[in-house]
Amino acid sequence: MSNSAVPGAESTSRVQQWLAGVDGALLSLCLGSVLVVVAGGLVQVSFGTYSMTVVEAWQAVVNPNVLLNLQAWEAFVFGADLPEMNQRSLIVWNIRLPRVFVAMLVGMNLAVSGAIFQAVTRNELASPFILGVSSGAGLLILLTLVVFSGLSAFLPLVAALGGAIAFLIVYAIAWKNGTSPVRLVLAGVIVGTIFQSLQTGLFFFAGDIGVVQSAIAWTTGSLTGTDWEQVRMALPWTALAMLLSLVSSRQLNVLLLGESTARALGMSVERVRFALSGIAVLAAAASIAVAGIVSFVGLIVPHLVRNIVGSEYKKLVVGCLFAGPALMVAADVGARLGLQVLVGASTQIPVGIVTGLIGGPYFLYLMRKQDALGEI
Amino acid sequence: MSEHERFERESNGRSNGESNAGDTATDADASAAHGSAVELRGEDLEIGYPSTDEPVVECETVLLPAGEVTALVGPNGSGKSTLLKSMANQLAPDCGQVRLDGEQVQSLESKELARRLGLLSQENESPASLTVEDLIYHGRYPHRGFFESVGDEDQAAVERAIDLAGVEDLREKEMKNLSGGQKQLAWIAMVLAQETDVLLLDEPTTYLDLHHQLRVMEVVRTLNREQGVTVGIVLHDIGQAARFADNLVAMKDGEPYDWGPPRDVVTEELLSEVFHVDASVDSESPTGPHIAPHRALDD
Repeated sequence: MSNSAVPGAESTSRVQQWLAGVDGALLSLCLGSVLVVVAGGLVQVSFGTYSMTVVEAWQAVVNPNVLLNLQAWEAFVFGADLPEMNQRSLIVWNIRLPRVFVAMLVGMNLAVSGAIFQAVTRNELASPFILGVSSGAGLLILLTLVVFSGLSAFLPLVAALGGAIAFLIVYAIAWKNGTSPVRLVLAGVIVGTIFQSLQTGLFFFAGDIGVVQSAIAWTTGSLTGTDWEQVRMALPWTALAMLLSLVSSRQLNVLLLGESTARALGMSVERVRFALSGIAVLAAAASIAVAGIVSFVGLIVPHLVRNIVGSEYKKLVVGCLFAGPALMVAADVGARLGLQVLVGASTQIPVGIVTGLIGGPYFLYLMRKQDALGEI
Repeated sequence: MSEHERFERESNGRSNGESNAGDTATDADASAAHGSAVELRGEDLEIGYPSTDEPVVECETVLLPAGEVTALVGPNGSGKSTLLKSMANQLAPDCGQVRLDGEQVQSLESKELARRLGLLSQENESPASLTVEDLIYHGRYPHRGFFESVGDEDQAAVERAIDLAGVEDLREKEMKNLSGGQKQLAWIAMVLAQETDVLLLDEPTTYLDLHHQLRVMEVVRTLNREQGVTVGIVLHDIGQAARFADNLVAMKDGEPYDWGPPRDVVTEELLSEVFHVDASVDSESPTGPHIAPHRALDD
C-alpha cells in the first residue's frame, strides 16, 4: 500500500525525528504533569475532615479489596451497588479520589477546548470563555436555579445546552460571507458581556441566600461534593472529545497557516472551523456540566504547553491532556485545603477562585516576557 | 558549502532540461510532462468584492497557455492579484468562468482542485516554531484523506520539492529563524509538494533581496522546463517579468491591456500608457527586452 509507512532511509529519518520530538520536551512535560497529578492526588486523599494518618490513607488507596475488586469498579464506573469495604477505603475511594478524577477530566477538557479555540480563531487569547460558551452556560444555570428550580436535576445538561446556544449565537453574529477570527472574538466578547449582565440581574430575583451561594459556586467553578456520578457523567464525552481532537490535529495545523493558504490547499475552511468548534464546545460543556465555570485553565494551559513543545497540534493536544489535569488537581488542593493551612478554617473555596489567582499573574508574566502576544 | 554546490546543481538541472528538449532517451519524462501540460483559461470574467459595486476586474479572455510561464504585470491596483485569486477559485467571479483543462474550476471539489492547481498568496504567516520540513509536508494536504498518515508518495513528493527549491540546508530550521527570502523558498517548496499541473504565484519576489529574487525565479523556471507545469505569476517588476516569462499579460484598470511574448508586449508606449513611466526599451537585448526608466509621467 502506498500509504503505509515503509521503513526506508527517508522514512526512518522522519520516524527518528518524530521520536526525538516526543522524547524531548513533550515527554518531560507529560512526566512532570503525571508527577504533579500523583502528588496532588496523594495530598487530597491524605487530608480532610475525617482524620486518618497518611500511611492509613495510602494503604486505603492500594487496598487490594477495592483495587482488584471488579464489583467495586462496577459500582464506580457504572453506578452499581457498592460492595462492603472498611470506612477508610470508603472515604478514600468514594469521596476523596473521585474528586481528583473529576479535576483531571475538567482540566483536560478545558485545556484541549482552549487549544482548539485558539487554532480556530488563530488567536492565543481565545478560550471557551472569550467565545461566550461559559457565559451562556452560566446564564442558563442561573435561570434554572432561580426561575425554573424544577429543572435542577438536569443542571449539567442545561449548562451544556447554554454553552452550545451561546456559541451558535456568536457564530451567527460573526458570520458575514464566512467568519473571521477577529469577528468571532468580538462577537464572543459582546455576547459574553450581555449574558453576564443578565446573570448579575438575576441575582436580584434569587429567593434565599442558599440559592445565591449555589449559583456562585457554579459560576466560579467548584469541585466541592463531586463524586463518581460526575466521573460517570463526564467520562464518555471527555473520551470522545479528546479522541476527536487528536484525530483533528492535522486540520488544526493547516488552519494555523491562515485561511487563504488552508483554502488553497483544498480545505473547506468554514466547515472544518465549525466542526472543530463543535468539538471544543463539547469538551467545554463536559467540564462545565460537572464543575461549573472554571476560569483561566482553558487560556493558560495551551499557552504554557505551547511555550514548551511548540505549536504543532498533535504535540500540543497531547501536552494539554497531561498539563490540564496537573494544573487542575494542584489548584483543587489549594481550593480544598488552602484555607485550612492558612487560617485553620475547614471552609473550602471554589477551585475557580484558585485558578484565577494562579492564572491572572501567570498571564501578566507572559505579557511582560513576550513581545508579541496574540497571534499564534 | 551549499551556495556554490546548489547553484551548480540548479544550473545543471536547467541546462539538462534545455539541452534535452527534443532529444530522445532521458527526455521521455520531460516530454511526457509537456504532453500532459494543462491550460488555465478565464472567460468573460467580471470580478468584484462584496464591498464594491463596480467589478474590479473585467476581462473577456485570459489564457495561461499549457506548459508556459505567463506573468501578470501592471501598476498597483490594476487587478492582477484579484484576477489570479479568481483563476484559483479563491474569489468567486460575479460572472464568467475559469476553465482548468476545459473543466470549470467552480465545479471541482476543493481537494480535487488543490491537487491540480496550486496557489501561493502574497503574504503568508506560519507558526513561529514550525520547521521547514513540516511546512512542506502540509503541501500534501489535498493528497491525504482525513485519517491517512504520511505515505511513500508524500515523502517522495516532499523530497522532490526540497530538492527543487534548494532548501535542503533549511529543512530542520524553524520558520522564525529564517530570513524573508528563505521563508519564501520554504513556502514555494510547500506548493511544489502539492505537485499540481498549474501553479499560480502572487508576487513571490516582492520584498526579497536580489539573490533570493533570482533563486525564486530560477526554481519557477526549472519547474516549468522540467515538469511542464503551467505557471501564472504576478510580478511587480516588469523587467524581471520580461526576462523570465514566456508571455506577459499587462493589466490596466482591471482589464488586460496587451498580451503576448515579452518582446512584443514591452514597448515604450506600454510603459507610458500602463505604467505612466517615460522609459526607453532595448528590445534587441539578448536577455529579453531591456527597460531603462527615465522619469515618472504625470497621470
